[in-house]
Amino acid sequence: MRNAYLNYAGKRLLQAAVVVLLAYVFTFLVVSILPGDPITNVLHDPQNAFTMAQIQEIIEAQGLNDPVALQLWHALSGFVTGDLGLSMRSSRPVATLISEVLPSTLILASSALAVALVLAGLIAYGSQFLPRRFGQGFVRSLPSLFLSVPTFVIGLVLIHLFGFQLGLFMVIDPNSFWATVFASIALGIPISAQIAEVLVANLDNESAQEYAAVARARGLRQTPLFFRHFLKPSALPVVTVVALMVGEVLGGALITETVFGRTGIGNLVQRSVVTQDLPVLQAVVSLAAMVFVLVNLIADLVYPLLDPRVKILGATAVRSSASTSDTASPTVTV
Amino acid sequence: MTDHLTSLRLSRRSLLAGSAALTIASFSGVSAFAQAPAGGDIVFLINSLGDTWIPNNSAISSFQGHIWGHVSDKLVYVDVDGTPSPWLAESWEQNDTATEFTLKLKSGVTFSDATPLDAAAVIANLDIWYAGRTDDGINPIGLFPKTYDHAEAVDPLTVKVVFKAPTLGFIPTLGYHGSILISPKTLATPATEQADLSKTAGSGPYVVDSWKEGDFVKLMKRADYNWGPAAVGHTGPAFLDSITYKLVAEQSLRVAAVQAGQADIAYNASPQELQSLQEAGFTVATPRYLGFVNGWAINTKLAPYNDVKVRQALQVAINRQEIIDTVYTPDWKLATSFIQSNVPGATDHSALLAYDAAKAEALLDEAGWVKGADGIRVKDGVELLLTLHSNPYLATSKSVDELIAQQLGRIGWKVEIRAYDVVTFGEKVHCAGDTIPAYEVTRSFIDAGTVAGILTDANKGENWFNLGESDARINDLRDQIAGAGSLEVRAPLLDELKAYVLEQGYFIPRTQIVQRIYVQSPEVKGVVYNGVAYASYYAATKGTA
Amino acid sequence: MTISLASALSRKRLHAPFAALGIPPSVALAFIILALVIGWSLVPGLFSGHDPFVGVPADKLQAPSIAHWFGTDQLGRDLYARVVHGTASSVSSALIAVVIGLFVGGLIGLLAGFLGGWVDIIFARLVDVLLAIPSFLLAVIVVTALGFDTINAAIATGVSAVAVFARVMRSEVIKTRQATFVEASFLSGGSRWHILLRHVLPNASRSVLPLAVLRFGLSILVIAGLAFLGYGDPPPASDWGLLISIGKDYMKWPWLIYAPAIAIIATVLSLNRISRWLRKTD
Repeated sequence: MRNAYLNYAGKRLLQAAVVVLLAYVFTFLVVSILPGDPITNVLHDPQNAFTMAQIQEIIEAQGLNDPVALQLWHALSGFVTGDLGLSMRSSRPVATLISEVLPSTLILASSALAVALVLAGLIAYGSQFLPRRFGQGFVRSLPSLFLSVPTFVIGLVLIHLFGFQLGLFMVIDPNSFWATVFASIALGIPISAQIAEVLVANLDNESAQEYAAVARARGLRQTPLFFRHFLKPSALPVVTVVALMVGEVLGGALITETVFGRTGIGNLVQRSVVTQDLPVLQAVVSLAAMVFVLVNLIADLVYPLLDPRVKILGATAVRSSASTSDTASPTVTV
Repeated sequence: MTDHLTSLRLSRRSLLAGSAALTIASFSGVSAFAQAPAGGDIVFLINSLGDTWIPNNSAISSFQGHIWGHVSDKLVYVDVDGTPSPWLAESWEQNDTATEFTLKLKSGVTFSDATPLDAAAVIANLDIWYAGRTDDGINPIGLFPKTYDHAEAVDPLTVKVVFKAPTLGFIPTLGYHGSILISPKTLATPATEQADLSKTAGSGPYVVDSWKEGDFVKLMKRADYNWGPAAVGHTGPAFLDSITYKLVAEQSLRVAAVQAGQADIAYNASPQELQSLQEAGFTVATPRYLGFVNGWAINTKLAPYNDVKVRQALQVAINRQEIIDTVYTPDWKLATSFIQSNVPGATDHSALLAYDAAKAEALLDEAGWVKGADGIRVKDGVELLLTLHSNPYLATSKSVDELIAQQLGRIGWKVEIRAYDVVTFGEKVHCAGDTIPAYEVTRSFIDAGTVAGILTDANKGENWFNLGESDARINDLRDQIAGAGSLEVRAPLLDELKAYVLEQGYFIPRTQIVQRIYVQSPEVKGVVYNGVAYASYYAATKGTA
Repeated sequence: MTISLASALSRKRLHAPFAALGIPPSVALAFIILALVIGWSLVPGLFSGHDPFVGVPADKLQAPSIAHWFGTDQLGRDLYARVVHGTASSVSSALIAVVIGLFVGGLIGLLAGFLGGWVDIIFARLVDVLLAIPSFLLAVIVVTALGFDTINAAIATGVSAVAVFARVMRSEVIKTRQATFVEASFLSGGSRWHILLRHVLPNASRSVLPLAVLRFGLSILVIAGLAFLGYGDPPPASDWGLLISIGKDYMKWPWLIYAPAIAIIATVLSLNRISRWLRKTD
C-alpha cells in the first residue's frame, strides 16, 4: 500500500516536471513567431531618429539574428539550470523582476481566494435556508450573474464608487489595505461563482439524503446542520475546484492588476507582452504552470490520505469527474 | 459632486500633515538652508515608466526623460523658446566653419558618486553619445551629430570638440534631452548594471532614493548642489525635498487623483478634460516642444500620392480648425508650417494650409479622380484611398485620424485607419516604407538645421518623402542648409525650403504638437518647462505660503 | 425534452404561453435577448438610425436622451449605434472561438478517448500543458504572437478553450464506449467508424453542446477582456470590450462604460441561462 502510494507520487511528480518544461518550450515557440523584440522596439522610437540601416547594424551587433533553434537551446539550458536570463526590455535579470512583483500578486491572489470562499459559503448557506420563493431564487441566481460580468467592469465600478465617490481608498496607492480589499473583491467574485456552483450542487445532494431529514426532524438548528452535516462532506469537491481555480486567479490578476494599477505578475506580463519581452513571458508562463501543477499535485496526493474511500488507482477518476463540474454543475433557477 | 469635494479636502489635509512631518524630519538633519522657501514633497503621476534605464537608451523617452532631467545636468540649457544659454559649459567658442568647438566647464561640479565633472568626464559622455556600445546593448544617441570626429582635453576644465563637417547644431544639441551627463564610472559598467537605476550617478539636483520597476521612482534633493542653470534664476539646491514619480496607467485615474488631492501633478490628461480642470482651479500646462509639427510625411513614390495634385488636394482638404475644436482645446495651436512656431527662426506659412474643400475637389477632378455612384472618387477603376497608421506615441492620434476620415469622406476620399501597438508599428510602419502612403511624424529637435537630414537619402538621410535624389531643388536647399556656417545665412534658406515642401504637399501638417500635458495642483509653483517640454521641479515650491 | 414538456404541462404553471412550450419565463427572456443580439449583429442598420463612425463633433459627450439613447462619445458619435454596430464583431468573434475550441478540442478528445493507447497518452500531455497555463494568460500569449486584432483574439480564445473541450469529449467518449449498447454493436460486427459516428458522437455531443453554449458566453467575456487590454481591433471599431476600455478614459461620463457593459452582461447571462436549461432538459 505504502509502496504503491510512493510509486504513484513519483509518477505524478515526473509528469508535472514534463508539463512545466513543455509549457516553457510552448511559450518560446508561440512568442518567437513574430520578428519583433523590445530592443528593436526602442530603436524604432521616432524620437531616436535612427534610420532603418542604422537599426539593422545595431541588431546585428547584438546577435538578435541568431537562428531560432540556437536561441531556444540557450534559453532552455539556462532554464533547466535555474537561470531565467535577462529581460530584453529592461536588461535586468528576469528572476529579479519576478521576485520584485511576486509578493503583491500573492497577496492579491490569496485574499481574492479568501473573498471567493466567503462569498461562496454565503451563497451556499442562502441556497439552503432562505425562503424558497424569494431569497433563495435570488441567491441561487447569483453565481450565474457573477459569471456574466467582466472582471474589469467590476473593478471599474468599485474604483468609481469606493475610490472616488466615497473616497475610501487612495486610487494611486493600490497597495493600501482598502485598495487591496476591493481588488480582491473584483478578482474574487467570478471565482466565487464557480466554487458556489459546486458547493450548492453538493449541498442539494446532501440535504436530499435521509440523514438530513432525520436531523431536521430531531430539531437540529440550521447553522450546526449546515456546518456539521452539509459543509463537511462537500469539502473534497471544493478543494478540487479551488485547486483548479488557482490558474483562473493568476489569469484574472492580469486584468485586475491593470485596472487597479497594482504592480504584480499580471502587470509584468502586460508590460512584457506589449514589448514582446520573451524571456519574461517564458518565465512567467512556466511559473504559472508550475504553481498550477504543484497545487493540483498536492490535492491529488492528499486526496487518498483524506478520504479512505478513495483508492489510489481510483484517485484520478474521482478528481476528473469533479473537475469537469463546469459541465455537470447544478442548474440554477433564475 | 459636493460630497466628492469634501472627501478630497479631507484627504488633502491628511496628506499635508504627512508631508509636514517629513519636512520637519529632514530639516532637523540639514539646517543650512533655512532661508530657502519651505521644503515639501510632490507626487507626479505618470502613465509609464518606460522600459530600460540604461541612460543612453532611455534619455529621450517621454517618461524616463522626466527623471533624467532631475538626476542629471546638461552642458547647455535650452529654454522653451529654443535659446541656448550656459549651464555646465560656462562658455564656448567655435571656428568660422563650425567644425571645431571649445567648451569651458564650470569648476567644482561633481557627480553624486563624488567623481568630478571635468574634461575627461565630458569626453567619455560625448564618445558614448556618438557611438554607444552596441555589442553590449547600449545604443548611440540618435540625434547626436553624425559628423562628430573626436574630443580632446585642453586642460582639466576645457574640452575641444572636432567635427568632420560644419555642425551648427552642436551647441543646441548639448541642451537636447538625449545629452545628459552621467558619471564616467557608471558609463564604464556593463549594460545590465546601468539598467539598475539606483546604480547610476548623475550631477543633477536630485538623486534616486528608491525605485521599483513599473511602479515608482523616488528622488531626494542633493544638499550640496549649487550649479543650476542661470537662465532658471536659481542655482542652489532644489527647494522640494522629494519628487515621487508614480506610475498610474489609467488616464482618468491620474487626473481624478490630482483632483482628489492624492497627488500633485498628472501627466498626459485627456484634452477634453482640461477646460473643466482649469475652471476648477487646477493649473494646466500644455508646453510645446521644439520640433516638427504633428503631420504626415507623404511617400511620393506610392500611387496616387506620386501625383502632386492629389498631395495638394490633401493639403487643403483637412479642416485643421475642426481638429482643434473637436479633439483638442484652444491650448493647441494651428500649424503654421511643418515645424512648430516656437522654433527659433520659424516662419508663418499658414496661408498654404487654409481649409478649402472646393479647391481640393477641383484639384482631384483635374487629376482625374471622379466621384462614383457611392460618392467615392474613382480613377481607372481604383478608389481614392488613404491608409493611415495611427501613431502609437501620441494618445490623440487615433481620434484625429477618425476626424480626418470624416472630413475627407465628405469629398469622396476613402480613409482606412490602422492602429498598431508600438511594437507592430515599429516593425511595419516607417518613413518611406513601400506600402505606407503617409507616415505620421511626432519628433522633437533642438536645432532647425535637423530638417536637412530628413529630406533625402544622402549622408544616411532619413528620406522622409521617398524622394531619393529626384528633386533637384530639395537637393540644392539641403546642401546649402547643411553647409551654412551661421544662422543668418541659414534662415532664408529654411524659409524657402518650408514653403516648397508645403506647396508640393510633401508634408501635410495636422496641428502643432503638445505631446506632454500637465495637470497640476495650484499649490505647486515655479515649474519650468524646457525646450523639449519636460517639466522641471528644480526651482519649484509647494504650499500656499 | 419530451419529459420536461409533459411535466411542465401537468404542473399547470402560470405564464401559459411559455409553459405551453415548456420554457421557463427566464429562459424565454434569455431567448428574446439573444434574438435581439442576433438582430443587432445581422442587420445593425435596422435598429439604429445613427452612423456609428461619423459623429457630430459639437455634440460630444452628451448624456443619454431621447435622441441618443446611450448618449454620445468623445467624438460626438451615437453610443447606441456604436454598441449595436459593435455586436457583430463581439458576437461572431466569440462564435469563432467556440467553433475552434469545439472542433480542435472535440477532435483531440474524440481520438484520445476512442483510440486510447499512445494517442491518448500524447494528447493527454498536450492537454495537461494547455490546462496548466491559466487560460487568460494563454490567450494573451497567443494573441501577442498572432498580432493584435479581433480575429486573432478570437483564435487565441479558441486555443485557450481547446483543453476543456478535449477533456470533456474524452471522458464522454470513454463513458459511451463502455456502454452496453456500444459494446453490443461492436460485437455484432459494426465497423469502428460506424460506431464512432452512429453511437459515440451523438451521445457525447449531448453534454458537449451545453458546454459549447456556456463557452460562447465565456468567450464573449474573454474577448472583451482582450479588447479591454488593447489586443483587439483598434478604433473606430466598436467591440464592446473596446468601448469600455475607451470609456474608462472618460470616467466622468460613466454611460460610456455602463452601456456596453450592460450589453455584455445581458448577452452572457442569457447564454448561461440557456446553457443551464439545455443541460437540465437533457
